Amino acid sequence: MSAVLTVDGLSVSFAGFKAVDGVSLIIEEGELRVLLGANGAGKTTLMDLISGKTKSTQGRVHLRDTDITNWEEPAIARAGIGRKFQIPSVFRELTVRRNLEVAGCGKPGVLANLRFGLPRAARRRLDEVLHLTGLSDEAQTVAGTLSHGQTQWLELGLLVMQDPKLLLLDEPTAGMTAAETLRTADIIKSLRGSHTVIVVEHDMAFVREIAQRITVMHLGQVLAEGDMASIESDPRVRAAYLGSKGIH
Amino acid sequence: MPGKRTLDYAAYAAFIGLILCAPLVLEEFWLNRIAKFLVYGLLGVAIALSWGYAGILNLGQGLFFGLGAYMMAMSLKLASPTSLQQGSATPVPDFMLWNAEPGAKTDLCCINHGSFLWTPFQNPWFGIAMGVLVPVLVATLIGWVMFRKRISGVFVSIIMLALVLLVRLVVIDAQPVTNGFNGLTDLGNLVVFGVELDPYEVVTYYVVAGALALALIATRMLVETRAGLILQAIRDDQNRARYLGFDVPLYQVFFFAVSAAIAGVAGMLYVVVAQFASPTFMDLSFSITMVVWAAVGGRASLLGACIGAIGINIIEARASETQALVQAWRAVIGLIFVLVVLYLPRGVAGFASDAADAVLSRLGRKRPPAAQSAEERVAS
Ligand SMILES: Nc1ncnc2c1ncn2[C@@H]1O[C@H](COP(=O)(O)OP(=O)(O)OP(=O)(O)O)[C@@H](O)[C@H]1O
Ligand SMILES: [Mg+2]
Repeated sequence: MSAVLTVDGLSVSFAGFKAVDGVSLIIEEGELRVLLGANGAGKTTLMDLISGKTKSTQGRVHLRDTDITNWEEPAIARAGIGRKFQIPSVFRELTVRRNLEVAGCGKPGVLANLRFGLPRAARRRLDEVLHLTGLSDEAQTVAGTLSHGQTQWLELGLLVMQDPKLLLLDEPTAGMTAAETLRTADIIKSLRGSHTVIVVEHDMAFVREIAQRITVMHLGQVLAEGDMASIESDPRVRAAYLGSKGIH
Repeated sequence: MPGKRTLDYAAYAAFIGLILCAPLVLEEFWLNRIAKFLVYGLLGVAIALSWGYAGILNLGQGLFFGLGAYMMAMSLKLASPTSLQQGSATPVPDFMLWNAEPGAKTDLCCINHGSFLWTPFQNPWFGIAMGVLVPVLVATLIGWVMFRKRISGVFVSIIMLALVLLVRLVVIDAQPVTNGFNGLTDLGNLVVFGVELDPYEVVTYYVVAGALALALIATRMLVETRAGLILQAIRDDQNRARYLGFDVPLYQVFFFAVSAAIAGVAGMLYVVVAQFASPTFMDLSFSITMVVWAAVGGRASLLGACIGAIGINIIEARASETQALVQAWRAVIGLIFVLVVLYLPRGVAGFASDAADAVLSRLGRKRPPAAQSAEERVAS
């Protein structure tokens, strides 16, 4: 196994407040890593740092052997990191199919995209992604009219279409019903093995469903790392959570 | 059953057929008028591309129209009989002579400090090339600065608005070179490949109609490409597009420049048809009027915005034949605009599209569902 993502001593401070403080992580090929932590622990900020939205003040980020620390967002995306936002964002005036076509374009440049239709391989993958996300019947629906859950799945679909080496998913089940959450767990589990994923989640039922290895963050630092059982029995984790809203 | 897209293409074909057949029924006076309106239609296409597809509401599109117009007019001014008969080796525009310093040599090279700029325009092809290149270069430059800095929405509108007013002032101020406030009048006819484009001849109408047809087809094809799709994605959510790896400013600049090129061509053709160029092309009211045409016709539709521009102008021309309506016209167009914004936010084209959807789905419902879905799958 080789590391897909290596985060080494990553920090950022906003006006003196260290939102992420010396975080180090190694994510292996094909791994599905869950990032846990109370509100404000710095999970989203860590993803912002990895994906280029926020520039770090210290530390390095490597994707395989490439140092991508503080690159521009599109460059990081092209290097192979896909990002799903806490607030779902899709192309609202385009149909579901066209949304996925955008993500499947592959080449980034204008001139390279002055051609009609997707490559054959991408077109085949598009149908698979529609199926995976359960949106086959909604292919011609305008994305802005999808339900909240469907919008989340479409954004997941965009990432699968983009086919990055590493997917960063920020609360993919936020605002979902229990049934929708289960379906999302299925989608994410089906990515396991073929994709490397980091997912932030609050929903413990969901975490139990998908987690292999868990990293717990607290006050911008890594508090603990391990499998579900060892995390649940870790006294430091218990103490940290007792201070906020408790693990449940 | 015809699909939505088939209907859409049929509308393009019908419109292009219509404008190409117009000379069969229209007399010269109206033909010249309609040619002007087709030029406005070209502006509608340019606005729909930048506003509808790129989400960039340019309140200074008149800048590119004006630049294109002046480039063409400079060539045609030098081709006019008055300029040719000033008794010097090179043609000299009359207004330069009127204002020349005593003792200045009557020659394009040096009659005043800026007149040398006109020298290459003796070749009409230079004027034509500049009519496209200058708007494209200006658009690329401003676009690059704005979109790199992630300026968007109303700020782009305001910057473009300020810019068109600035350039208008410069043009008026540079009187020795541009004839300032009076603009360029008394122009010759454009001669290309031995054909003289007299504004009242059918051939001139065909040049304009052909340009519009070509622009419509080419722009439609352009937005159907992957790049056009990505452009629309950027319009909907820049950030999402950025995290999919697209260099957002590149796309915005590219299509901004294409829109400017179309407006530049429109400016050139307007000069050919109307035989003058004036700083009023860069008036704020003209740039805003264009946006109104596109809004009424439907900014999300190239053809809709084009027809909106032509339609409003035909109605206006008709209305101005009735004395009572001349005064009321501005109020009427304002009212139409308000009504459309309130009740047809996607313009007339959006309304037509919804109507087509309704008819198609009603037709579809009468058929067995299995057959229908199979056909839709083929259509999509
Ligand atoms: N741009 C910013 N400027 C200032 N403070 C920020 C900024 N971004 C995040 N923070 C602060 O950093 C801390 C970590 O925030 P972050 O959003 O990463 O938490 P989180 O773990 O994702 O929480 P949640 O579970 O609520 O999503 C918070 O206290 C937040 O207020
Ligand atoms: Mg968060």
